[in-house]
Amino acid sequence: MDTTRATDLAGPESAGPAPDYEVGLVSLNQWQIAWRRFRRHKLAMFGAFLFLGIVAAAIALPFIWPFDFYTIPTPKPNCRIGCPPNPDNIFGTTGGLQRDVFTLVVNGARVSLAIGLGAALFGAIIGSIVGGVAGYFGGWVDNLLMRIVDALLSLPLLFVILVIARFLGSGNWLLIMVVFAAFGWPGVARLVRSLFLTLRNEVFVEAARAVGVSSTRIIFRHILPNAVSPIIVASTLAVAGVIVGEAFVSFLGFGVDVTTPTWATPSRTR
Amino acid sequence: MSRLEAAQERRAEAGVPGSGPPQASDVLLEVRNLRTYFHVMDGTVRAVDGVDFKINRGGTLGLVGESGCGKSVTAHAIMRLIETPPGEIAEGEIWFDGRDLLTLSDEEMREIRGGDIAMIFQEPMTSLNPVFTVGDQISEAVRLHQKVSAREARDRAIESLRLVGLSAPERRVRQYPHELSGGMRQRVLIAMALSCSPKLLIADEPTTALDVTIQAQILELINDVQAQTGTALLLITHDLAVVAETVQTLAVMYAGRIVETGSVEEVLLNPRMPYTQGLLNSIPGEKKRGKALSAIEGVVPSPFRMPPGCKFQPRCPHQWERCTMEPDLLEVGRSERRARCWLQAPGEIERRRTYDLAAAATVRDVIG
Repeated sequence: MDTTRATDLAGPESAGPAPDYEVGLVSLNQWQIAWRRFRRHKLAMFGAFLFLGIVAAAIALPFIWPFDFYTIPTPKPNCRIGCPPNPDNIFGTTGGLQRDVFTLVVNGARVSLAIGLGAALFGAIIGSIVGGVAGYFGGWVDNLLMRIVDALLSLPLLFVILVIARFLGSGNWLLIMVVFAAFGWPGVARLVRSLFLTLRNEVFVEAARAVGVSSTRIIFRHILPNAVSPIIVASTLAVAGVIVGEAFVSFLGFGVDVTTPTWATPSRTR
Repeated sequence: MSRLEAAQERRAEAGVPGSGPPQASDVLLEVRNLRTYFHVMDGTVRAVDGVDFKINRGGTLGLVGESGCGKSVTAHAIMRLIETPPGEIAEGEIWFDGRDLLTLSDEEMREIRGGDIAMIFQEPMTSLNPVFTVGDQISEAVRLHQKVSAREARDRAIESLRLVGLSAPERRVRQYPHELSGGMRQRVLIAMALSCSPKLLIADEPTTALDVTIQAQILELINDVQAQTGTALLLITHDLAVVAETVQTLAVMYAGRIVETGSVEEVLLNPRMPYTQGLLNSIPGEKKRGKALSAIEGVVPSPFRMPPGCKFQPRCPHQWERCTMEPDLLEVGRSERRARCWLQAPGEIERRRTYDLAAAATVRDVIG
């Protein structure tokens, strides 16, 4: 033991390569660092498991659960206004047709999550492009794009959906998702623009320009990765907002068709 | 750019002999009458107001002056990195390798940036993008200008990191900027600048943000790679000690103009303009130990209220009536040795003698 130590400490003169004092350091990229931090954050891990649990339930449970979404159960005489939770119906049943609420929730999760995630994702993509271009170039480009954003933000979403439902017909969940994305991106665009306004003055952006990087590449390859965390946070919150929004318009009857299960279904099923 | 185009047209119509590429083929960069203005709320700042200089192939030029005298703006104008608005290159020609950079399209300019002209910035801590590895950033610069595979670009990155003396370059390419010290990052930036073998390297205060021991290393490195690769160097600094060790020729700037040029020895040992003398006098030396530090009296004039005539006149201990007229960059002695000062005009023998004595005393104090 002692002898090996002595040779190790002999320094660069000893045989073999020069000692490597940095051998323990591993370079991690942005995502690896984020994942590490995420793993150590108990609340974050709890949230992640909850979310993955909901997704798993949405995928698997409709096949396993004893009640079928499209079958109306035989009514029990003593449950006209809906049963309270019981061993058969763990969330209880609705009034009238006495449908199992848990079945509605599990089936509805699929479309609701798809609308929420899809609208937030498309909103983030469009918003990043518009906000990035506006913030990077500034001047009249910024002015033009931001006035479009202002105009869209000033429209009340609910009435727009009513009008769209009137002209394009309601019921298609993809259409609802597109509408929410089309009205979700202005918020992201504003956020991204403000981030770009500070990041574009960073020296590394000028350094990138000085090695001949094109504007498009600077926007999407050099600045956007630095702005990604606030975009992720905003989009995550947008998912929840869109789900609630969809449930709201569907409850009013202008959203997804009644026959398609979403998280609006329990609220409008008798 | 409209004002610039108008100026170019006017010059072409008048057939001014100054336009057209430089005749001598060994001139790599020639800046002629460069004027760069910034239009801000309070008026127009003439940051660079008629600057001319030349750099030969493989030559080295130091551009010195106080903060805010237009050194960095000159460098940015050469790279066409002036933000418009508020900035504007109002007039001038920048001949680089037979082409006027101010007439090139953005596309052509992008090929020159990083390819033929590379730039090292003042702040190594913030000049690298925090989300990419060092290797990614150097490889990107290589692949922008040369048609090579990702693997070859990576090899070139490792090669140039080795050239700038970073240990274990194979591992460095996988590291992120935050894992490197300031001196190492400046080496990385130099490696990035050299990765495409540029004809001209612009170093904008490359050592200002570094501590003294690292400063010396980085200067030595810049000197070495300059000699090894034969690239021309434009070194911008406010540190006279830095230029003394690094460049052959020197241009002193004050308030957007060049006030004195010449070989580095001649300018530093025999300053012909009171401003250069003042700069030298501000260097703390052994002879001045225990005494108060000397500085040039007064401050740089406000860009909105420039004095008439010589811009240094309000602060100049030698000024007299003639200084309210604008002096030209007068030839003093041999060619390429010029000073913008009426003291050097023919006929001012008495005044020149008084000044020369003061300047000689200053130089003696500094050199020791």
